[in-house]
Amino acid sequence: MIAYLLRRLIGAIPLLLGILTIIFFITHLAPGDPLGNVGPNVPEEVIQQMRRNLGLDQPLHIQYFRWMGSFLRGDFGYSFAQNRPINEILPETLWNTLQLTLIAMVIIFSLGMLIGIVQAVRQYSLADNLLTFLALFFYSMPGFWLALMFILLVSVKARQWGLPQWLVFPVSGMTSVGAEFMTPWEQFTDRVKHLILPATALGIGAAAGVARYMRGSMLEVIHQDFIRTARAKGLSERTVIFKHAMRNALIPIVTLLGLYLPFLLSGAVLTEQIFGWPGMGRLIVDAIFQRDYPVVLAASFVISAMVVFGNLLSDVLYAVVDPRIRNG
Amino acid sequence: MLVLSAILPGAGHIARGEWRKGLPILLGWGILLGLLWLTWERIQALLGARRTGIDAYIALATVGILLALLWGWALYDLRVRARRPAGARGDSQWAIAARHFRRNKLAMAGLGVMLLLYLVTLLTPLLAPYDPSVQGDIVTTRYLAPGTEHWMGTDKFGRDVYSRVLYGSRISLTIGFIAVGIAVVLGTAVGAVAGYFGGKTDSILMRFTDMMLSFPRLVLLIVVIALFTPSIWLVVVVLGLTGWMNNARIVRGEVLSLREREFIQAAKALGMGDGRIILRHVIPNTLAPIIVSATLLIGQTILTEAALSFLGLGVQPPTPSWGNMISDGRDALINAWWISTFPGLAIVFTVTAFNLLGDGLRDALDPRLRI
Amino acid sequence: MRRFAIVVLAFVLAACGGRDKTSVADGGAEADSARFGGVAVIGAGNQVTDLNPLTSMDQTANQIQQFVLFTPLITYDSLFQPAPRWAKSWEVNADTTELTFRLRDDLFWHDGIKSSAHDVKFSYDLARNPEAAFPNPGFWTHYGEATVPDSFTFRVKLRPHADFLDPWRAFAPVPRHVLESVPVGQLRQHAFSRRPVGNGPFKFVSHAEGQDWIFEANPQFPKALGGRPYLDRLVYRAVPEPTTLLTELLTGSVDYYIAPTSEQAEQIKQSDRARLMAFPGREYVYIAWNTRRPLFQDARVRRALGMAINRQGIINGVLGGAATQANATIPPFFWQFDPGAGVGLRYDAETAKRLLHEAGYSDRSGDGIVEDVHGRSFRFTIKSNQGNRIRNDIAQIVQSDLRKIGVEAQPQILEWNTLVEQVTTPSKRDFDAVVFGYGTEFQVDDSGLFHCEKRDEPFHLSGYCDAETDRLLDTLPRIVDRAAARPLWARYQRKIVMDQPITLLYFQQRREGVSNRLQNVDPDARGDLVGVDRWYILPGQRRAGGPQQTAQR
Repeated sequence: MIAYLLRRLIGAIPLLLGILTIIFFITHLAPGDPLGNVGPNVPEEVIQQMRRNLGLDQPLHIQYFRWMGSFLRGDFGYSFAQNRPINEILPETLWNTLQLTLIAMVIIFSLGMLIGIVQAVRQYSLADNLLTFLALFFYSMPGFWLALMFILLVSVKARQWGLPQWLVFPVSGMTSVGAEFMTPWEQFTDRVKHLILPATALGIGAAAGVARYMRGSMLEVIHQDFIRTARAKGLSERTVIFKHAMRNALIPIVTLLGLYLPFLLSGAVLTEQIFGWPGMGRLIVDAIFQRDYPVVLAASFVISAMVVFGNLLSDVLYAVVDPRIRNG
Repeated sequence: MLVLSAILPGAGHIARGEWRKGLPILLGWGILLGLLWLTWERIQALLGARRTGIDAYIALATVGILLALLWGWALYDLRVRARRPAGARGDSQWAIAARHFRRNKLAMAGLGVMLLLYLVTLLTPLLAPYDPSVQGDIVTTRYLAPGTEHWMGTDKFGRDVYSRVLYGSRISLTIGFIAVGIAVVLGTAVGAVAGYFGGKTDSILMRFTDMMLSFPRLVLLIVVIALFTPSIWLVVVVLGLTGWMNNARIVRGEVLSLREREFIQAAKALGMGDGRIILRHVIPNTLAPIIVSATLLIGQTILTEAALSFLGLGVQPPTPSWGNMISDGRDALINAWWISTFPGLAIVFTVTAFNLLGDGLRDALDPRLRI
Repeated sequence: MRRFAIVVLAFVLAACGGRDKTSVADGGAEADSARFGGVAVIGAGNQVTDLNPLTSMDQTANQIQQFVLFTPLITYDSLFQPAPRWAKSWEVNADTTELTFRLRDDLFWHDGIKSSAHDVKFSYDLARNPEAAFPNPGFWTHYGEATVPDSFTFRVKLRPHADFLDPWRAFAPVPRHVLESVPVGQLRQHAFSRRPVGNGPFKFVSHAEGQDWIFEANPQFPKALGGRPYLDRLVYRAVPEPTTLLTELLTGSVDYYIAPTSEQAEQIKQSDRARLMAFPGREYVYIAWNTRRPLFQDARVRRALGMAINRQGIINGVLGGAATQANATIPPFFWQFDPGAGVGLRYDAETAKRLLHEAGYSDRSGDGIVEDVHGRSFRFTIKSNQGNRIRNDIAQIVQSDLRKIGVEAQPQILEWNTLVEQVTTPSKRDFDAVVFGYGTEFQVDDSGLFHCEKRDEPFHLSGYCDAETDRLLDTLPRIVDRAAARPLWARYQRKIVMDQPITLLYFQQRREGVSNRLQNVDPDARGDLVGVDRWYILPGQRRAGGPQQTAQR
């Protein structure tokens, strides 16, 4: 197992370097450069000077080797737009994103599994159909649209309709004005309040996806012989479902967890955009639009590495939870 | 009864007491004729115009073909059924699945909505009361709330939202359909070749698939869209070229298990060429999962197009797509909710339909999920 | 012209109504001690990443530097006349070759060091050093060496030119003792950009990337310049999504929303929690015709296109009426403005058709599109950038307007960087027509737009060349005497109207969404944040929490 893991990890290195190389060239080949956003009053000489200051006047292959050299030494370089080292930007942004996506993940998996189990146990019943429809309804909704509706309903309308104050959530940013004067506990609750809307908007659609998997997986298990046996033994339905069926149905769900890993750090572009959350999704979109090449590359590296690592993790998890594979 | 049906399709069925079959046929026939009658003036205007758009002809042809089909099927059903022994049922894999599928009401609803949607895209020139891009008088006809004149209101240019939603359905569904077509063909090809040949081919192709999967899709989308002149086709192609990887993996998995089966071995022993085996024997046997994943992918693609539009990268105005309509209307969300709500609902219903259909197909096609 | 400015201002005052009329001068009176305290939040769509006046490139950053964090040498009063700020007074010698500023001696950098003329000279020298890449080098085209006769006197050489004081309004000197040791090429990367030390009415407190900048009142700010601002704190928040920003304003999380869209403006007007303030702006939107291409070489054709575009229709339709029709590049409230310039460009499709006909275009094939003598149809693409819905909408309206005179304009939307590269790279200029925007300075110099010698400057989009225009562009900026210059300015504007290298559409009215609790707000063309140190929120309406030391002043 360990040897296999090592082999996979080593195999991932050329993959990642390949991806970064491709991204390097396609972003540099795309029209425009980081100085496309300077105002019209800025004369050509100044732009040339800035280009020199940023090292953009060098031939592309020199830029590439320079960048690769420093990347291999663990230095992502400087952000053109933010004027500071990326090694300083990334940890901040990753932490911001992680807070959001962790909460979203909790919502996704707890809600999704619950719905999936209920549906599978009552296959083709009214409840199943209703939940299927509801889950699909949210799953089929454009995420940004749901976010906009949240903002409209929970923030504007909630006040118009006179809902209690604790039901009204802030819709942008990570902290309230004056957060630096709060006690640590107040700061914590303040942060949680800011998290609720974006995390829910992010979570609901994906929870419906998990519910579908869970339903399928539960159905598969429920129709197997050992469940029939368990029922025949006279075990209570609750025990059958939660002890025997669910444990086995979790296998594919656990592997799903690995596939969701990249999502944890890559963030959610539109949700972050709408709720003004300064996470990875916003970082990468802004960077692409501003042609902030080093940031695009650094963020792509994080995302790609997470995908590779997540696939690996999901394989490992699969092996851990499924004894057939572990022993085989 | 045949005579009755020949005059009025469905009437024959009803006369035999088969209401469930007869009524829909009769209704469909009636609605189509009604449509022709109601839009007669527009049809004349369309045909009389100096440059008749091809879509007007398509719409008319669609109506004609549908009328003929309904009529023909009603006759055929009556005649053949009369001769067919009762209770004879096919027992092929597909027939079983079809029977199973029919029992799933939600999935049937999904199928119905999907068929209706594609029908609407074909008939749009007849159904849409206004030209989607003609701007009304900005002062008097902008931001009209939904009413009898404009069923879904008007937008900031005084354009009819209902007509735009109809025209948008063409763009969004076409994008979904073609992009998924590209993705499915590409994914199936890659997956089948990788799974069938195995060894080096497999590892190279799968490495490539892995790389595409780990590629941050958004970076790719934005850069490609920036590199070329934006057009609907660019969006379609880009969505297709970045959406095939999961399908490739599914197909490869299926093919790996198929490869060892007797009938493939037999074909090999008979000396059939690899290409022929893949096309004739391997791919047909992987169709079930492909269909399921394609159906689900169409829904996802429509959502992705909407998300791209929100970032301003999807289909460009004035061409209406549901995505850019939502995006356009969001500034006026509080005052004129209808501009982005209706296309939003259209997306939700369409994608829901595709997902219901996909789930139903999965349930029906996967024997393990049947009771 | 001045009268016009007053009329506009009076209009703004009337439109906003019911506001406190207390003037800045008596702001320090004891009676209004209740005004001190509270936090105001400014919300805007764009992130500010750099507040170093020598390197920052965006408008909002410049506003914060001018009105919040730093103190420029002079400022403009509400009639756009120079008024003292850091400089108590200034004089210029008889032939306008030497300008001397006498500086205040009671202004301190926020780290406690006194601000002096050495800081001004240090900053001025850096801003003229090409290596530092100061984004507005045009400020110093006619300026020369600077000297510091004593610690509070700054003297600089210049060639005579119009509105020569203008740069000193926008240029905010930086502290020498902080930046002295930084190599010039690395100014941009220096931490000063994110943790600036200023000498303005507000002090920098903290900055979280992608979120906010927090400033607090500077109690040491000289009484004569207004003294300590009323607000305890000022927060600048970047919220990328306009819909969210509007919600934040309407629910009271944001007090001042900079430049809402026109759809949102309607909603703000109807709200009972916020009000809309508008003032004429200096930004104009235009369509540049690429005269390098044969299609647009004939001035009659360009003027025909200009006349066929219903500019008022665009203003009403896209901007909800919040703009003034533009004919030439001079905003109506500038002293150079010529009200009669637009006569040659009124909306008139018939005349436009006639002009096209004179230029050899008529509908020969009967398909509704005009053709030239060789039978080539008049078709072209009009480009605009993704994400700017106003400009995309304009392109659509232009398309439908031009169709009425038999010209087919196909809108095309490109991602911003791509568009900029296509239209501004001198070797490419890959466009027929493009919708673009420009903000004119108070000191007008259009040579970058129209002068033949600057044809290869990035924003010389039209590529237009005309000897008389060149002559006007050369002489105009050098005339110091306004009365003598005015007739020439009028000639210049009429020339631009008749030649139409670009078709100006409108000067946008700048709008701000202001929360009802925020008082004494009066933005105008000087900037969104002008007078920010006089904004106040009465005690009952302040946010809960916040700084506890409100009482101390």
